[in-house]
Amino acid sequence: MLRYILARLLATIPVVVMTSIIIFSLMRMLPGDPVNVLLGQAHVDVSQETIAQMRKEYGLDKSIPVQYLAWVRRALTGDFGRSIQSRQPVLSVLQPRILPTVQIGLAAWLIALVVGISVGIVTAMAPNTWKDWIGSIGALVGAAMPYFLVGGLLIYFVALKWGLLPASGFVSPFVDPVASFRTTILPALTLSLGLAAVITRQTRSSFVEVMQRAFIKTARAKGLHENYVIANHAFKNAMLPVVTILGIQLATVFSGAVITETIFAVPGIGRLLVDSILSRDYPVVQAVVLFISLMVVVANLMVDIVYGFLDPRIRGN
Amino acid sequence: MTSCRKSLVARAQLVFGRFARSRLALAGLVLVVVLVATAAIAPLMGLQSPDEIDTLAMLSSPSSDHLLGTDDLGRDTFSRLIHGARVSLSASVAAVALAMLVGVPLGLVAGYVGGALDEGVMRMLDAVMALPPLVLALTIAAVLGPGMINGMLAIAVVAVPTFTRLVRGQVLSIKHDDYVTAARSIGAPRRVIIFRHVLPNAINPVIVQGALGIGFAIITESSLSFIGLGAQPPTSSWGSMVQVGFQYLELAPWLVMAPALLIFAAVLGFNLLGEGLREMLDPNARSR
Repeated sequence: MLRYILARLLATIPVVVMTSIIIFSLMRMLPGDPVNVLLGQAHVDVSQETIAQMRKEYGLDKSIPVQYLAWVRRALTGDFGRSIQSRQPVLSVLQPRILPTVQIGLAAWLIALVVGISVGIVTAMAPNTWKDWIGSIGALVGAAMPYFLVGGLLIYFVALKWGLLPASGFVSPFVDPVASFRTTILPALTLSLGLAAVITRQTRSSFVEVMQRAFIKTARAKGLHENYVIANHAFKNAMLPVVTILGIQLATVFSGAVITETIFAVPGIGRLLVDSILSRDYPVVQAVVLFISLMVVVANLMVDIVYGFLDPRIRGN
Repeated sequence: MTSCRKSLVARAQLVFGRFARSRLALAGLVLVVVLVATAAIAPLMGLQSPDEIDTLAMLSSPSSDHLLGTDDLGRDTFSRLIHGARVSLSASVAAVALAMLVGVPLGLVAGYVGGALDEGVMRMLDAVMALPPLVLALTIAAVLGPGMINGMLAIAVVAVPTFTRLVRGQVLSIKHDDYVTAARSIGAPRRVIIFRHVLPNAINPVIVQGALGIGFAIITESSLSFIGLGAQPPTSSWGSMVQVGFQYLELAPWLVMAPALLIFAAVLGFNLLGEGLREMLDPNARSR
């Protein structure tokens, strides 16, 4: 098992390196001089000598690969430069935004997991009945609903019309757990619908396929109780493709967070990305995208480990 | 010797029959056709002008004058929706077409030639796919600048890896088939083998993914426009209508609901169509 984990860890390194190269290249492709980009509006007032000095300071007079390595070295020490907007170190701009996104994202992912797997199993166990039709149509519909529709409906009815929950904002659980819970629900529900829909469909098809396999017949023939057969034999095997999907969904959560945080005015990473792109605060954009991709890689690594735990064949026993 | 090959008509009936047997697929087809047709004939429909500002009728509710009310500048929502459909749908279809144009040949060549080229391409794709789709599309759109065409390019870039991987997978299983070996043995050039023999047999999942990809493109395009990076005024897509609408959610909820529902309908339609195409083109696929 340990060897498997180490192998997966090592495999992530080339991906991380390539992703960082892509991010770095994208930022370098921005039109105009990077120094102008860094200076923002002020570049017209600054003298040529200062520009030349800045160029040297940021290493922009060196070749691109050298610049990339310098950027990596600085990044590893946590130095992502300063935000153009606020002149604060980028890392300090990024840090407080992590909690809201992680809280809402995790909540959404868990809701989707529980609802998706439950509905998936129920529909798989009762194929072509009304339960199946509702579940499957619901999944198809849920997967197609854009975040603005779900979010818009939730905000309009639950927050504005009925006044049950706040329409926007975020409160840290360390400040006020109850308020934090109340500000998390609507965004988490909005985010979870699409995820749950995908999980439901995958669970259903996976279960249907597993239940037809030979070892299930054997277990039943042995006289084992049906619930035991489902729980102990079918479940683990059926969950394998679902775990893979759950991993992919961790990336989807970040995509969804961008829109959901904008709709619900949550001060998270997604909205930071949007705001910094719109205000051309490129040092922040660079750091945020890098951070998001790192989190996705880590999340996928954990999913791989769970997968290895579930399926001994993968571990290479 | 009797031929056991069915006539073209009989084979077509078999294939389209598979599609028609699924009510959901037919529903999807109907949705898509209705949306596309409406968008196509929009200028001929005799609607009110989508850009005509009427300051006396701002944010009015649905009425006989304005079927879906008006927005904050008094512009007719219904007409804006239909004209917005042209923008959203054409941008999405174009983005997917572009992604296929780049991704399919890339997958064909990488899969057939194999070796270092294949490895290199796959590593690149892994890195691109490591970024969440909307995040990547946003970043590319940020680099390219606001505008519909840049948004389209961003979506296309995000969609390429899916097609490339799909085709490559197909090629890997096809390239050892007998007819390919036969073509190689008579000395057919690689170019001919790839495009005349491998491609037609690899194309089915690509068509399915194309339909599903349009659904993805519609959602991504509307997200980009919602944020402010896709369609720029005066061009207006469904996404930018939603963005404006959210400011008035309490006063005029239809401004958000109408375009959002249409986006939903379009995505649902293309998703169902894609599923139907999958049934039609690959009935052995593991499904219900």
